[in-house]
Amino acid sequence: MSGASKRAVAVEAGGSGANSDAAATLPKPILEARDLHVSFSLRGKRLTALRGASLELRKGETLAIVGESGSGKSVFAKSFLGMLDKNGRVDSGGILFDGMDLARFSKEKEWLAIRGKRIAMIFQDPMTALNPLKTVGEQIREAAALHRGLDRKASRLAVLETLERVGISDPEMRYRQYPHEFSGGMRQRAVIATAVACKPEVLICDEPTTALDVTVQAQILDLIKSLQRDLAMSVIFITHDLGVVASVAQRVAVMYSGQVIEQGTVEEVFYDPRAPYTWALLASLPQLGVKGEELYSISGAPPSLFREIKGDAFAPRNPNALEVDFVHEPPEYEVSGTHWAKTWLLDPRAPKLEPPASIKRLRERLGQVRAADALRGSEGGRL
Amino acid sequence: MTGETILGVKDLSVTFRVGRKDFKAVNRVNFDIARGETLSLVGESGSGKTTIGRAILRVNPVSSGEITWKGERISGKIPAERERRLRQGIQMIFQDPMASLNERAKIDYIVSEGLLNFHLFKNEAERRAKVEKALLDVGLLPEFASRFPHEFSGGQRQRVGIARALVMEPELLVADEPISALDVSIRAQVINLMNRLKRERGLTYLFIAHDLSVVRFISDRIAVIYRGRIVELASSEALFAKPIHPYTRSLLSAVPVPDPEAERAKRHIAYDASVHDYSKVEPAWIEAEPGHFVLGTEGEARAWASL
Amino acid sequence: MRGPIPEVAGELFRPAIFDAADAERSGYSRYSYWRSTFRTFLKNPLSIALLTLILVLVAISFAYPALSSTDPNKVNLDTSAWNAKPGAGHVFGTDGLGRDIWARTWYGTRTSMLLGLVIALLDVGIGMIAGALWGYVKRIDRIMTELYNVLNNIPQTVFLILLTYIMRPGFWTIVVALCSTGWIGIARFVRNKVLMIRDAEYNIASRCLGTPLWRMITRNVLPYLVSILIMEAALTIPYSIGSEVFLGFIGLGLPLDTVSLGNLVNLGKNNFMLYPYQLTWPTAVLAAITVSFYIVGNKFSDASDPRNHV
Repeated sequence: MSGASKRAVAVEAGGSGANSDAAATLPKPILEARDLHVSFSLRGKRLTALRGASLELRKGETLAIVGESGSGKSVFAKSFLGMLDKNGRVDSGGILFDGMDLARFSKEKEWLAIRGKRIAMIFQDPMTALNPLKTVGEQIREAAALHRGLDRKASRLAVLETLERVGISDPEMRYRQYPHEFSGGMRQRAVIATAVACKPEVLICDEPTTALDVTVQAQILDLIKSLQRDLAMSVIFITHDLGVVASVAQRVAVMYSGQVIEQGTVEEVFYDPRAPYTWALLASLPQLGVKGEELYSISGAPPSLFREIKGDAFAPRNPNALEVDFVHEPPEYEVSGTHWAKTWLLDPRAPKLEPPASIKRLRERLGQVRAADALRGSEGGRL
Repeated sequence: MTGETILGVKDLSVTFRVGRKDFKAVNRVNFDIARGETLSLVGESGSGKTTIGRAILRVNPVSSGEITWKGERISGKIPAERERRLRQGIQMIFQDPMASLNERAKIDYIVSEGLLNFHLFKNEAERRAKVEKALLDVGLLPEFASRFPHEFSGGQRQRVGIARALVMEPELLVADEPISALDVSIRAQVINLMNRLKRERGLTYLFIAHDLSVVRFISDRIAVIYRGRIVELASSEALFAKPIHPYTRSLLSAVPVPDPEAERAKRHIAYDASVHDYSKVEPAWIEAEPGHFVLGTEGEARAWASL
Repeated sequence: MRGPIPEVAGELFRPAIFDAADAERSGYSRYSYWRSTFRTFLKNPLSIALLTLILVLVAISFAYPALSSTDPNKVNLDTSAWNAKPGAGHVFGTDGLGRDIWARTWYGTRTSMLLGLVIALLDVGIGMIAGALWGYVKRIDRIMTELYNVLNNIPQTVFLILLTYIMRPGFWTIVVALCSTGWIGIARFVRNKVLMIRDAEYNIASRCLGTPLWRMITRNVLPYLVSILIMEAALTIPYSIGSEVFLGFIGLGLPLDTVSLGNLVNLGKNNFMLYPYQLTWPTAVLAAITVSFYIVGNKFSDASDPRNHV
């Protein structure tokens, strides 16, 4: 099993021992990023957007990548499809998919067999994917015809089917319309239709609902969930909204300053976070706050990615930082078979620190969830 | 919270002319804000919530109805002296920290803009002292006054915007989506700041937002607005415990909460405006429970109450 | 980071000292709009070359009259010196009356440049204020648009000729003729820019703070227009000089005793077949200035667009 065996095992109390045997039966990842380093040349200087980011996506699951601005989550997603800007390049690391290393691709030709066909992507602004000068139906049909090798008639039928499937009513009429005649939510559905018309194995969604109203967002999220089930796709969902993560994902990876600093199932990461940044992120949410109490807030800003970062990138903003955080970059410590975090706090030599109050409340929640799962029997433990 | 009403909005309507058609952005809205309370106005895009905020600040003209501030009318044509008092008493915080500060002006000028307009200081030293105090109050360092906005992060810029409003010593702050454009971890800073100022200075807030789950933490009362009409108004706990109007219930079911267990148990309820038939009977503002109001006909209110 | 855990001394696992104020000071990008604009502009070797050319030409045209003793208007009584080819003593040769073309070229350049600068400053100055008000005050939009439609559609040539007839040829006539219709083009450009930023949040914030109109224009609007205004000025100069030359062609230019590029070109064209140097040299300088200003103006405009700042 890739990755986990190389990680240090953390010795900690109150951990989740239950999952370690489940870990042995985990399926192999369908898409995996290993220690990816990506940088851009900007204004004569080099900006390192990804500093050794690692990720595992398993078949049939939805993995959320959550991070704030500057965390590198969008760059990460784009690197899976070779869509980095012209001034960007992969410095080191690998992206493994079906026996190939996508990070080694240097020619557009190599990407043609993957992009859109086996790995598809949808973006925050549907207009970046839709051509305003062509009818919606025609655009989707072209993509379907190209990737599935269908003739005109067959591809048209496939498109009508897909439009219906993504919840666009009256597909015959909508086929002939232009993007500007669609509302924001419908455009996003059209983009989703384009992406899934080719039945990809992996769907990457880069903040697809951020610009949408709450009620429309809920519909789009439901749509993505149902499409994933029906088409057996594996989905990577990028967002900054932790509520969306809780709603749509089974596993989540938390990013900060170009690295994945914690990865696990949603239950593990929400109810038993281990990295200080994850603590800070969750503790600062007003949805989890208690009226009358101050919210936990992080001062300062993420470090400049133009300069080399020594040690833990979050250390300058972390009131619980240890001296070692300023000297050495923390390795990934295993918390369970499915949960790991990149923090020195999980080292056996580290002092036992108290997480913020709201995190403790979340931990109690985990206890309740586990108890309920146990009562429900074998149904528990979503992996 | 003393219960004294400082802002009254009565039958407010705002109509915009778009091309040749008229668009009614705000349709006969009524609500009051008591001194010291935080009233949140929650709605999706196009609901009219921003228009209401701007109408209070006299940025948008009012088509009908009126807005009163401490008993005096502040909408429509008013004497210059009253407008002056209004500008000192009510201030606004904006959504986008990247767009709400003048990039070509120093922080010093930005924060003192209101002071300069009404000459609220005796001499240069006093003006500078006021600016320093405002910056310190929002957790920024006084040395920032000589710098330009582009040198600061989003959270810091948003705090400059708050300092700019605070320096006028207002009694009511209209906050138009003040945290939506900020990173998640920075929102807590601004929320904590707003709460602290409320405690220390007895400020009153009208908080305009689109995320119900966020406003729960800071509001005393919440008003839900849909297509220019307020459909429900209640204390935040009552609204979450017992939402009455179908739109409120739909909105609550749609907002994702950062709690996987809760999300799994959730079912989305869609809202279809056509379930209301207001062709024969106009909906009324009904007090379903003490302090909990909902917009609907008598028949609807009965039906919803039994759910 | 995979691989073995680095050897870490045990005592490093102590809590570190945390300074919140320090965290607050972590500044953001040191991006400065003007610095980036100049850097982008100077990146292009063509821009640097042409800018240098302009500066050199302007420097010579202003320094030469001050330093040289040659009188550009002095008719040479020795007819053998008339129409002399370029050579020793006369770098550009002499014209039909023995006057040194080198001297005349630089005096002429000075006059023409002055003309261009005055027109540019007036046009831009008036256009900027008018345009800012036009964009900002909704009520005058209709009137201004009608005025624009009228002024913009007046045939420039006819108007120029008419005015010159009425006011008689001279430096200020040309200034008045070109400025009276030129300002509105700039005003329109400025007005469009103002419309774009009029409803920006920072302007609404200023309105909420009770900022009066004049301060909104000077502090909120004009600073954003500086780059377009510089570009407009840079483009108005060649246009003005060109107009002066054109007027010279039809006999309505500056009086013949004034040395200007227009007059030089005019006189030079008469003898072009016999003594081409009388035309080619002034024209070369004229072309150099016109083209340089035009290209530099456009390059500067590109550089001042933040989207081109890499």
